[in-house]
Amino acid sequence: MPKTLFEKIWDSHVVAEEKNGPSLLYIDRHLVHEVTSPQAFEGLRLNKRKVRRPDLTIATEDHNVPTSDRSLPIVDQISSIQIKTLEKNCKDFGIQLFGIGSPNQGIVHVIGPQLGITLPGSTIVCGDSHTSTQGAFGALAFGIGTSEVEHVLATQTLWMEKLKPFEIKVEGKRKNPFAVTAKDIILSIIKRIGTAGGTGTVIEYRGQTISDLTVEQRMTVCNMSIEAGARAGLIAPDEKTFDYIRGKKFTPKNFEDLVDDWRENLKTDSNARFDKTFSLDAKEIAPQVSWGTNPAMVSDVTERIPFPEDFAKDDLNQKNAAEKALQYMDLKPGTPITDIYVDRVFIGSCTNARLEDLIESSKVVKGKKVSPKVRAMVVPGSQMVKKQAEEMGIDKIFKDANFEWRESGCSMCLGMNPDILGPGERCASTSNRNFEGRQGVGGRTHLVSPVMAAAAAIKGHFVDVREMDVN
Amino acid sequence: MKGNVIKYEQDNIDTDVILPGTYLKIHDYSELAKHAMEGLDPNFHSKVKEGDFIVAGRNFGCGSSREHAPIALAHSGIKAVLALSFARIFYRNAVDGAFLLPIEIDEDTLKDISEGDELEINIDNNEIKNLTKNKKYQMKPFSELIGKIIAAGGLFKFNP
Repeated sequence: MPKTLFEKIWDSHVVAEEKNGPSLLYIDRHLVHEVTSPQAFEGLRLNKRKVRRPDLTIATEDHNVPTSDRSLPIVDQISSIQIKTLEKNCKDFGIQLFGIGSPNQGIVHVIGPQLGITLPGSTIVCGDSHTSTQGAFGALAFGIGTSEVEHVLATQTLWMEKLKPFEIKVEGKRKNPFAVTAKDIILSIIKRIGTAGGTGTVIEYRGQTISDLTVEQRMTVCNMSIEAGARAGLIAPDEKTFDYIRGKKFTPKNFEDLVDDWRENLKTDSNARFDKTFSLDAKEIAPQVSWGTNPAMVSDVTERIPFPEDFAKDDLNQKNAAEKALQYMDLKPGTPITDIYVDRVFIGSCTNARLEDLIESSKVVKGKKVSPKVRAMVVPGSQMVKKQAEEMGIDKIFKDANFEWRESGCSMCLGMNPDILGPGERCASTSNRNFEGRQGVGGRTHLVSPVMAAAAAIKGHFVDVREMDVN
Repeated sequence: MKGNVIKYEQDNIDTDVILPGTYLKIHDYSELAKHAMEGLDPNFHSKVKEGDFIVAGRNFGCGSSREHAPIALAHSGIKAVLALSFARIFYRNAVDGAFLLPIEIDEDTLKDISEGDELEINIDNNEIKNLTKNKKYQMKPFSELIGKIIAAGGLFKFNP
């Protein structure tokens, strides 16, 4: 029977199966960070269990670490304890940790691929919903809760109900691929299918537009699958994927043999059936800016803030949600998006803090200055990204323009480390969630691509990056 | 089980409002509970009582995988969340640690239930009784895996 890529990966990892019921799924790689793991290790200790496969488990510190000078101690005592707890847990259970001070430290979904841990056809879990990022390599990668983290630590397996394959096809050539980015593709998709459009599914992104993307751009697309409610996002691996993994720290010794197998097998069969299909023409996609408090509340940069009444014909709840969102965001319907001024700009997060994101946004910044009313920061996704960017002089472009150039971590994405918005502050952010309070109590988040964020930093308000002079 | 309703009719109640990120450093569950729903309703902690139910719209618990979200609700006293639908990681987290019951209801049921109503939930026959309004509703049955994890009392007691 013809199968989708998802079904092939799933079927090859089922250890045991109940008839028409749940499956016990083998997990190839388990990534661990400081925030969602302490109770899991505590559970192992209480029950006198070991970590079943410490060799398949890798840890880093990313969520609560400060992104300021790494030679200074962590001021926040509770964060410091959480970090020390992970260090002790990794030592006690024999797990490799890339912590603060390691040249391999970084956001878990950035370092996995950079280290060659993320492999096509594998199952990857982490106590973090944005694990979906790693589906860009043709891996089945998804976020889990702390109880499941403990279960995987103890057994290297998970009980799951089979997810449903959802095809999202993006065809056509983008008119301006510099300005219309992977972020705009995924925001456009979420705008159309909604925050629950993918619930219970694994999305496979297909079509010419997706094939044309670089591997790092594909990671941006897969990253936000969870924002559409899907557990994971997938893209079939190709030569670009294999090139990205070749020669990394953990790349397997028999890599070329594996590539032969992946090339042959890791694709959806031509007449396989998806439970759901959605298509989008890349020519319709413009640079996106979110105006509300969930990632489906998004407009083209050329549009105006919508009127809540426009939603009423579909659903009264949507109208009420839009009203509430505009109130929180302090925005008036009918305002051009380009009239929205920002206080802060954040280029970072597992969505958009890889080398290419920094290279592309630096082209907007080069030779210009950040608006005097804006505080702008760049937070590389990992120490490796930071080093590579510095070797290319990217840091200098940002620093010359008055951007802060910081150490790697989740930073201002989630409001749990010192990088937060103040109440009422408005931010152009390359992160993934614009929920109320996400970046700090009362903070107002506008999700955008790195080039759009860079443009907003320079002008002080949103601008259509297609109209900017770019170096 | 019986309890009273705290109702938030909106969709997309996300894990960042259920438990804001800044509290993810806290390990003491009773301390976490003080901040439950803080991003949506700062009065939640003062009004919630042991045994209460939350009733809400679509896609409850969307966003992060933080198990702290159902933990904070459970340690506030919430025994079940009744919603039109749930984001899947929250849904699974809720039952894995036997924190609370995630119960899917239909739109008519959502409309009919009011703040403060006393409900009696019986998961053996998928029935919800509204004792205040003297009415009965049906809940969507749990899937096989979720039902078994609930019956076992959590993921670590579950054995298919």
